[in-house]
Amino acid sequence: MIINKSEVANLLSKLACEYRVIAPVGKNGLVEFAVLKNGEEPRLDYINTKKPGKEILFPQSEELFNYTVDAEGVRMQDNVDPQATVVFGMRPCDVKSLVLLDNVFKNDQYEDVYYLTRRNNTLIVGLGCNEPAATCFCSSIACGPFSKEGSDIFLTDIGEAYVVEGISEKGKELLAKLGLAEASEAAKAAAAKRQQEVKADATVNIEGLSAKLGGMFEHPFWDRLHEKCLGCGACTYLCPTCHCFDIADEATDCNGCRVRNWDACMFPLFTMHGSGHNPRPGGKARWRQRLLHKFNYFVDRYNATACVGCGRCIKNCPVNLDIRQALADVRALD
Amino acid sequence: MNVTKNIKETAKKLLADKKVDLVVGFAQGSLPLRSTPYFARTPEEAENLIWSATCENNLANFVRKRPEKVAVIAKGCDVRAIVGLIKEGQINKDNLTIIGVPCVGMVDRKQICELVGCKDILEVTDTGTELVLKGKDFEKTVAKADILFGSCKTCQYNTPVLFDELIGEAVPAREADYADIEAFEAMSAEERNAFIAKEMEKCIRCYACRQACPMCYCTECFVDCGAPAWIGKSAASVDDNALFQAVRVFHLAGRCVDCGACERACPMGIKLSLLNRKMVKDVKELFGAEAGVSLEDPPALNTFQFQDKEDFLL
Amino acid sequence: MRNPYLPLPMKLVKNFTETSDKLIHTFTFEYLNEQDAESFQYQPGQFAEVMVYGKGEAPFGIASSPTEKGILKFSVAKVGVVSTALHMLEEGTIVGVRGPLGNSYPLEQLKGKSLTIIGGGFAFTTLRSTIQYILDPAHRGDYGDLTVIYGARNPGLLLYKDELAQWDARSDINLITTIDREVEGWTGRVGFIPTVTKEVAPKTDYAIICGPPVMIKFTLPVLVECGFTPDRIIMSLENRMKCGIGMCGRCNVGSKYVCKDGPVFTKEQLDQLPNEY
Repeated sequence: MIINKSEVANLLSKLACEYRVIAPVGKNGLVEFAVLKNGEEPRLDYINTKKPGKEILFPQSEELFNYTVDAEGVRMQDNVDPQATVVFGMRPCDVKSLVLLDNVFKNDQYEDVYYLTRRNNTLIVGLGCNEPAATCFCSSIACGPFSKEGSDIFLTDIGEAYVVEGISEKGKELLAKLGLAEASEAAKAAAAKRQQEVKADATVNIEGLSAKLGGMFEHPFWDRLHEKCLGCGACTYLCPTCHCFDIADEATDCNGCRVRNWDACMFPLFTMHGSGHNPRPGGKARWRQRLLHKFNYFVDRYNATACVGCGRCIKNCPVNLDIRQALADVRALD
Repeated sequence: MNVTKNIKETAKKLLADKKVDLVVGFAQGSLPLRSTPYFARTPEEAENLIWSATCENNLANFVRKRPEKVAVIAKGCDVRAIVGLIKEGQINKDNLTIIGVPCVGMVDRKQICELVGCKDILEVTDTGTELVLKGKDFEKTVAKADILFGSCKTCQYNTPVLFDELIGEAVPAREADYADIEAFEAMSAEERNAFIAKEMEKCIRCYACRQACPMCYCTECFVDCGAPAWIGKSAASVDDNALFQAVRVFHLAGRCVDCGACERACPMGIKLSLLNRKMVKDVKELFGAEAGVSLEDPPALNTFQFQDKEDFLL
Repeated sequence: MRNPYLPLPMKLVKNFTETSDKLIHTFTFEYLNEQDAESFQYQPGQFAEVMVYGKGEAPFGIASSPTEKGILKFSVAKVGVVSTALHMLEEGTIVGVRGPLGNSYPLEQLKGKSLTIIGGGFAFTTLRSTIQYILDPAHRGDYGDLTVIYGARNPGLLLYKDELAQWDARSDINLITTIDREVEGWTGRVGFIPTVTKEVAPKTDYAIICGPPVMIKFTLPVLVECGFTPDRIIMSLENRMKCGIGMCGRCNVGSKYVCKDGPVFTKEQLDQLPNEY
């Protein structure tokens, strides 16, 4: 199927009757995912949003439940969000990150109802990347500028129009209702050409990396990797696969709410015991954790690498600590 | 004079003569317009040191509380922070060799990004006064002086105030220029409030500003303290984000060296140095004090004089 | 979908000052709803998140045994926001409890085996649960000899003093208590846990050990000397935790989450993991 770029706004208004429509928009000089206001046009020419797509299902700050305690006892109000949602125009790396996060928020024993309720009620319209940035390395990491994994519907930009493909059953069902025109053979060929030809940096080689890292816990490599790291949370907060969080209560007297906030393995308090003992006492242990979590522990647990090659950590690191270089350095070790 | 070459030679000699164990400087970064802090421990490693218009980090961060003998390649603002830290007992001057480099200002990646519509810049050539930016389908030449960081444009201490060795020629000091702050002060309280709220809305509480600040070195920052929890941890609260910055600014009163490292580190592009510079300006006007410009000056807020202004007290 | 973040309401029925320094209290909670008592099925070694409304929640090992019906017990040191708030609670207050969380001591696997339980300081809570469980008439026959070595800095800091006296009087448990330095009136042993363990030289099939890191560090070699192989030394870890369900990402040791894959590990398992606890 196909949709002209000039018709996208109409399509989204139509979708907005039934769904909450979330799309990239320009805000405060940045491109961010936001609920589209009536008639608002999405920004679909972006390379990557500043904040990762994970925030749609796993917001930076989220009130899990509210509670009141009084003479009548305890009352709790659970804030599960079941609203049917369409995310329009998410890049393949961010879409892939949701597939990875599914592993975390639904394990063999527990289900995170907040994440999963949103997840189950959200339909993802992925948007291929015609021009990956120099910092993008998705083609290196089981993803790619036209990876359809996780998308329900997938768009390929062929200039004047998007070629639209139904990927999942959910996506196909929605497309059947929308009545878009069939794509011409020429349009399909143009899309296929883009999908085949456009590649991001594919030179980051992670083959065999997990096994190698698995034996490197005590390696002197970690002594210097972290040296220039300032210990801020920019890389982890802007990473689409980093999922660590903190749980805190915000309350006055006995009335309040349980809040979940993003947290980061780069912060000292993250692992500090009540006794003051810290199993990861410095930058060395924290960087080791960050790299091992993504490229070894996650692989061990879920058989997937917790990186999608979006390059946000590279772009946003205040000291240019480039994870591609770190991986190449590991590879170069004897 | 080739500053990079001189830096390399000086560093190599210090390391070879075992005068220092470590030279902290900059190496070429992994992206155009980026350099990266570098730690050279051998003369061979010192070969990787560079100097360019992109050496934006404040290296004073890396020389605090170090056990070994260290040399640091330091521009004017780095040295101001070092002076401040020496006075606060965070750096032992006997173990530090300052290789000062006069600096005409570092170029601002964010401004450059906007100039080219945030298209990918793949190659940059520095012609001395200009940068030639090349991307996939564009080439643009910009004057470096036009795209300096805000804090560099108003810097009065381009030439380090303290050094063991100076590489390059001293740069004449600029006149004080607080036009940006005066414009901010001229706004109504409501306008200022709205401006700050709009900026703080972007905050993601990654604390890059605090971590990049050479003077922010508290073992436990008030914002992290859990008992009592002075401030909400949620980034969704614009008020809490603003409160965090407000307390940071107050804690840096008389200590902020106006290097702009906080604003450069911020991944969200928040105009952080505005608040800090307002405080810098106030401290200068009220107490005649500037942080990190001399080892002898007493710290502004650690001294009391009868003629100190106190009309800000309620 | 069951929401693993929502606590069950429970009523504090006893806030008991356990130690002479008053820093450890034992809290007994009763279920407010009968069906919660049915659904909260736990085993010794598991923990739960205890919530003080308005303050937050924190993880504590369950000190009661599943054989003690209708209640949950926790012995809590006053260290953080939640534990301090707990210490000040009046009996009758409603709290929240979320769990049970984590794995447990492998009591099924230990059936028919003799057992040495070694505890130090206030890390005796889940060990109390285990001992109560084994000593229960319904279970005592399932297990062989039971030796318990328990030490604290001084007699006032020993937990569960009444129960220690009861156990001491029984013939089906060999209880050895020890304190660090001699005190008038003390009739038990004097000496650190590793030394006392060496003197006792337990010869049982399995050992369970729980205590401060320094005690563990010096006792493990003694156990190895006594002939315990790493697969027969069982330990419980205490990393900082928040979610308790293997998602928030802070308590991991290597690829294992202490909250979900642990807190109980054998020494053999821990030998395979990085030393980050």
